[in-house]
Amino acid sequence: MKAIIIFVLLAQVSWAGPFQQRGLFDFMLEDEASGIGPDERVPPGFPELELPSPGPVCPFRCQCHLRVVQCSDLGLDKVPTDLPPDTTLLDLQNNKITEIKDGDFKNLKNLHALILVNNKISKISSGAFSPLVKLERLYLSKNHLKELPEKMPKTLQELRAHENEITKVRKSVFNGLNQMIVIELGTNPLKSSGIENGAFQGMKRLSYIRIADTNITSIPQGLPPSLTELHLDGNKISKVDASSLKGLNNLAKLGLSFNSISAVDNGSLANTPHLRELHLDNNKLIKVPGGLAEHKYIQVVYLHNNNISAVGSNDFCPPGYNTKKASYSGVSLFSNPVQYWEIQPSTFRCVYVRSAIQLGNYK
Amino acid sequence: MKEYVLLVLLAVCSAKPFFSPSHITLKNLMLKDMEDTDDEDDNDDDNSLFPTKEPVYPFSPFDLFPTCPFGCQCYSRVVHCSDLGLTSVPSNIPFDTRMVDLQNNKIKEIKENDFKGLTSLYALILNNNKLTKIHPKTFQTTKKLRRLYLSHNQLTEIPLNLPKALAELRIHDNKVKKIQKDTFKGMNALHVLEMSANPLENSGIEQGAFEGVTVFHMRIAEAKLTSIPKDLPSTLLELHLDFNKISTVEDEDFKRYKELQRLGLGNNRIADIENGSFANIPRVREIHLENNKLKKIPSGLQELKYLQIIFLHSNSIAKVGINDFCPTIPKMKKSLYSAISLFNNPVKYWEIQPATFRCVLSRMSVQLGNFRK
Repeated sequence: MKAIIIFVLLAQVSWAGPFQQRGLFDFMLEDEASGIGPDERVPPGFPELELPSPGPVCPFRCQCHLRVVQCSDLGLDKVPTDLPPDTTLLDLQNNKITEIKDGDFKNLKNLHALILVNNKISKISSGAFSPLVKLERLYLSKNHLKELPEKMPKTLQELRAHENEITKVRKSVFNGLNQMIVIELGTNPLKSSGIENGAFQGMKRLSYIRIADTNITSIPQGLPPSLTELHLDGNKISKVDASSLKGLNNLAKLGLSFNSISAVDNGSLANTPHLRELHLDNNKLIKVPGGLAEHKYIQVVYLHNNNISAVGSNDFCPPGYNTKKASYSGVSLFSNPVQYWEIQPSTFRCVYVRSAIQLGNYK
Repeated sequence: MKEYVLLVLLAVCSAKPFFSPSHITLKNLMLKDMEDTDDEDDNDDDNSLFPTKEPVYPFSPFDLFPTCPFGCQCYSRVVHCSDLGLTSVPSNIPFDTRMVDLQNNKIKEIKENDFKGLTSLYALILNNNKLTKIHPKTFQTTKKLRRLYLSHNQLTEIPLNLPKALAELRIHDNKVKKIQKDTFKGMNALHVLEMSANPLENSGIEQGAFEGVTVFHMRIAEAKLTSIPKDLPSTLLELHLDFNKISTVEDEDFKRYKELQRLGLGNNRIADIENGSFANIPRVREIHLENNKLKKIPSGLQELKYLQIIFLHSNSIAKVGINDFCPTIPKMKKSLYSAISLFNNPVKYWEIQPATFRCVLSRMSVQLGNFRK
């Protein structure tokens, strides 16, 4: 009984709270609130005595439920008007929206997440996002954007612009976006030097970057030290410079698969002392990158499908006393010219289990 | 007893002038549906798909195996693995995950154990993959799953043995031809069902397919329906059947859907709506009948006390009578019209008497627009 009372109480509080909820049933309640009650005298033919408009309800065919407005898959060619102003999440994915205009999101000052995935957006007006003073997540994947939008909200934490037509990323678009944590820009026709130097610099909380399947030829410069994950697979990177990972003290996962990397400069990996997972498969490496043995935390190293012809007994594990703090749980070396019988068994003395090593030349 | 006093106080404080008991029940129902029953420590904003808490990246050098699939982001019990070109569900999803986002990958099949043990899973997003198969035991342990998004795949049927807690199912743009009897059996919490853009015919909906289900919002647009299905849940508040091949509305059609408030029938081939059809849905507030073949204004509109929006543009309506929209006794109407559209019809605006729209909110609410021609 108590539970029920508390529950009802909570429900009441949330109705009375600062955010007025507009659920599936709110228009029923509005019937009473709108002033068009059964006893209200209706003056026919007197438009100047106009009754107050009932205000925005849920746009037709959308579902509005607990401040989530779900308008996906409706064939919409523009952003619906009259969105409830207390909306926290607006899902407009899988529509035919071509343009985001100034005023499209006016009043949505409580919006936390905006999903515009899979539309035909090629233009976003520069003032379109300015009313969104609480926006944290902006999903723009699968559109026709040629550039990232200007003046994104300063509160933004996550930006996804996968599969657009972006060829360059200017430093200025990220100006002042100090809350950013996740940036995903994969599958864009980014030019070889399409990312302006220092584009991500200064984003103190930035933790995850993924720029896979583009045409960039080098690791972007000026990455912030807060970064824990960097995914750059499927690009045209040919070399890892000693300086390119400088200062990435928190980097835990580095994905560089499917590039054309022929060399990892000595000392490169020393910049990332907390690396746990390194994917360098499907490249053109001729030897195991230097410095792995000194890494205390590295657990996963993918090196399959390269041109590695020799593996030294100290390439993975420290000589003598094992100073590693985590054992390897996954090392792949198959599809390399090196023959497994040429690798000394002691090479993998700091591996968790035998099955963690995939040599597999017998394939 | 103290609680009761507080309760009354709060009820008084809340902005609405009064609640009828049915409103409270419905409201509670929906709130309950989103309530996370036994995660007291959970401070996440349950109203949204996404927790608004600050993401945490725990760095623990001593764990033996990485707990987040490579390339995915795991934070606040959300696992984001969209746009990664994945061909199967990653194997190491943390057990306490509340939301898994796998959209826009190349996953062809969901296997029996892909989500096994994810007992806290609340939302699963599988949009935009290449799914043709979902193992019937997939959801055996995901008992808390409330939202399941399967749109834009190649599924030929609604997955079997869906979790009973499911509140929202979206299976837009698949290849579903048939909804079998008992598909939704025991799913008392299912409130939103979006299954448009599937090659579904009327005969594909087996009798009893929705038995016992309390769906409030249903959309079967862009399908192959030739009439209004008669066996949908009787609890429907919104029904959207636009872009089908419906040609007539019979007076029996809405008999089951007495609660209906919003009805979408635009872009069909409706030439005739039988007298008395709308008398079955007295609570309706919004009707869309644009882009059909209507020759006259459907009868009975003037009796719909709460009707505020009616779209009739792009039909073949040649005449509008003075009492087609408004009752003869003004007091009968409880909500004024806020939108009536009649443009793109053969009727000339000068042939419509101004008094026809005597129960309309403002002049702007009527779109005649024959001048567009």
